[in-house]
Amino acid sequence: MGSSEKAATKKVAGSAKGFLILIALVVAAWVVFKILTPSNFGSPKNLLSYFEASLMVATGAVGFYFVMVMGMFDFSIGANIMLSSIVGCVLAQRFGLGYPGLILGCIVTGALVGVLNGLFYVKLRIPSMIVTTGLALIYESIANYIAGSQAPTLPSDLRALGAMPGNLILAAIAFIISYVLLNYTKIGTYTYAIGSNEFVAKNMGINVNKYKVIAFIISGAFLGVEGVLTISYGSSMVATTGMGSMSRNFFPTMGCFFGLALKKYGIPIPAIIIGEFFINIIYYGFVAIGAPTAIQDVIVGLALLIIVTLTTKVDKGEIVK
Amino acid sequence: MSEVRLQVQNLCKTFGITKAVQNVSFNINKGEVHALIGENGSGKSTLTNMLTGIYSIDSGHFILDGKEVHPKNQVEANDEGISIIVQELGTLSGLTVAENIFLGHEDRFVKYGIKNTGAMNREAQKLLNQYGFDRIRAGAMVDEYNFEDRKLVEIVKATYFNPKIVVIDETTTALSQEGREELYKHMNRIRAEGNTVIFISHDLPEVLRMSDTITVLRDGVYIDTVKSADMTEDGLKKLMVGREVTGDYYRADYGGEISKEVVMSVKNVTVPGLIRNISFDLHKGEILGFGGLSESGMHEIGKACFGASFDREGSVTLADGTAINDIPTAIRHSIAYTSKDRDNESVVMNQSIGDNICLPSLDTLKNGAGLLSDRKMKAFANEYANEMSVKMVNTDQFVSDLSGGNKQKVVLARWIGKDSDILVLDSPTRGIDIKVKQDIYQLMDKMRKNGKSIIMISEELMELIGMCDRILIMKDGEISGELMRSPELDENSLIAKMV
Repeated sequence: MGSSEKAATKKVAGSAKGFLILIALVVAAWVVFKILTPSNFGSPKNLLSYFEASLMVATGAVGFYFVMVMGMFDFSIGANIMLSSIVGCVLAQRFGLGYPGLILGCIVTGALVGVLNGLFYVKLRIPSMIVTTGLALIYESIANYIAGSQAPTLPSDLRALGAMPGNLILAAIAFIISYVLLNYTKIGTYTYAIGSNEFVAKNMGINVNKYKVIAFIISGAFLGVEGVLTISYGSSMVATTGMGSMSRNFFPTMGCFFGLALKKYGIPIPAIIIGEFFINIIYYGFVAIGAPTAIQDVIVGLALLIIVTLTTKVDKGEIVK
Repeated sequence: MSEVRLQVQNLCKTFGITKAVQNVSFNINKGEVHALIGENGSGKSTLTNMLTGIYSIDSGHFILDGKEVHPKNQVEANDEGISIIVQELGTLSGLTVAENIFLGHEDRFVKYGIKNTGAMNREAQKLLNQYGFDRIRAGAMVDEYNFEDRKLVEIVKATYFNPKIVVIDETTTALSQEGREELYKHMNRIRAEGNTVIFISHDLPEVLRMSDTITVLRDGVYIDTVKSADMTEDGLKKLMVGREVTGDYYRADYGGEISKEVVMSVKNVTVPGLIRNISFDLHKGEILGFGGLSESGMHEIGKACFGASFDREGSVTLADGTAINDIPTAIRHSIAYTSKDRDNESVVMNQSIGDNICLPSLDTLKNGAGLLSDRKMKAFANEYANEMSVKMVNTDQFVSDLSGGNKQKVVLARWIGKDSDILVLDSPTRGIDIKVKQDIYQLMDKMRKNGKSIIMISEELMELIGMCDRILIMKDGEISGELMRSPELDENSLIAKMV
């Protein structure tokens, strides 16, 4: 059993290194902004609110990860969050279905968006990026139609999932489900297999198209959860059109980059969660400094490049696309 | 009389206009190693790919133990008792060893939709230990292991469930001697258990040694099935090619002087973890061989000379003093390189034969306006594809459609078109049939006589002995010996310095 013990030790050492990197990033970001603006940044209370903000986006990211590991992309995630939260809100409020309407409405809508993304992608046989960009425009328009002239607003008695501990409980459930799906089901194994070599995976009898659709459905459902948390936190959702939802793509995608970068340490899900926290610290750090939005975007964009470069160890000669 | 395990009946398969397998019928018995041989493009792999569900069958039947089988993928083939070990890498990165072994068969570890990873790892480790591969850890990512070990994982994956037929498709060419011995052991075991191995190999001595029966295919047509014990290597060659293989196989000259003129000088080259303190000179018109075990570092020598190594220390200089530190400089100074990993490092698979041949010579194929000239490129590609007699429809055909030997011809055509003076050929005949091998040997001999210098890196000792003026043997990243061309040189004198 010596060898398997050694394997276990190595795995632990690997994941410990991964956690160390993540924690170091979080601490470094905190220290930098604390020095720059000691008075209005980084108190325990502040940190908690950054963490709550990161929980929201992390729930979407842990689902979106399934799509990204397979080597696909989804430009409609922002539109999905918008559409599912508007549907959930309308069901909860206008149809009087309360929490079940809100939660199920968001998740089922998200999953349906996933079904559409997946089916269009495998049936049309065109790149996922293009399919989802086209569909995002459609989802935005549907959301706009459902919302009508006013932004749907969630009444205060239905907003328990927008604050502690409701948001934490819902997010934790989402994280656990994604962890189990990834590590303890066939779906997880096949997700990695398809991401590694689709052709070989197909020859092993894996129905590649089916699992691609499943990945989009999982992604969609988790983005639906993000929709629940988003509208519960912000109380209302404006249905923007003309790709206005794209700005919502940023955070879940960034989280996924952390997951992919630290996949080799065997901790993609924790990496996504802590990674989102880190990004939010930077984001709120800039808000605290009072940096103009344009500057914030430049810095956050640069931070993305730096972090992914530092955390992704590309083997010598490995081809990067 | 042995019992028939598999009947192949009137099997046909076409790809576009190519008739890959034409009305092939023969029987394979229980408890035998049945070799399938033929030149590249003879239909061996197409046939076994149909048997294992990788390709669909156009017409004809496979009758396994009296029952027709028609698998649609490898998992269905496994369920019928048929498995395959492929030529190239067949394991998936990003998955653990255990996940690779049980890929497609996870259901036995799944309860209520949840996979029992622990049980799966334990089961896989038990199998690995049974096979004597204790050092491979079931729970580790398969990426942590090298090519050879990943092949061992494939052996376990393909045979643990005691299949009736195991297809071994040109696997041995990718393995070092130890890896091959390991594979042979399992082939013998499968036979002893009364099951069948279908063995595809270009190495005829290996085929004669390991198999009981040999079926020969040529251009997709069934030629003959013979007993290995009654056959000689020359007899097999005749069946494969359809005529006596005449003329010299390797070069026939001995005793010639190596030119004093040094064209490339390698001094104290070290690539961390791969090679250490390597120094040698390459002379004009010389074929300099590098031999050794697969992991001896010899493959890195080729990369180092082509400026393709990372973190290389020491120097590689040409006669005019040019230092070769990167690939563009190497190509500009007439150095050519063919990689052992042909599919990934030499050819651009999803591009045409023409594009592949023209790639390094684009600068010379421009028209007056400085744009690439379609006409010039076509003419250039045709000239060198024809010179190498690439078997193709035309140069617009994609390289991915070609057999291994023809891909190699495209790679060589590219460098001949570039008129390179120094050729670094890593495993140039790997997985290639005797006819194309002979072509390549003759080409090398011709180039040598024209004053070109060649570095030939090979795991096939016979071709090193047959072709080289000088052979440097590598061991553990260092040069462990130098042997000069001589008719007395044999494999044992090389092996003595390798291990």
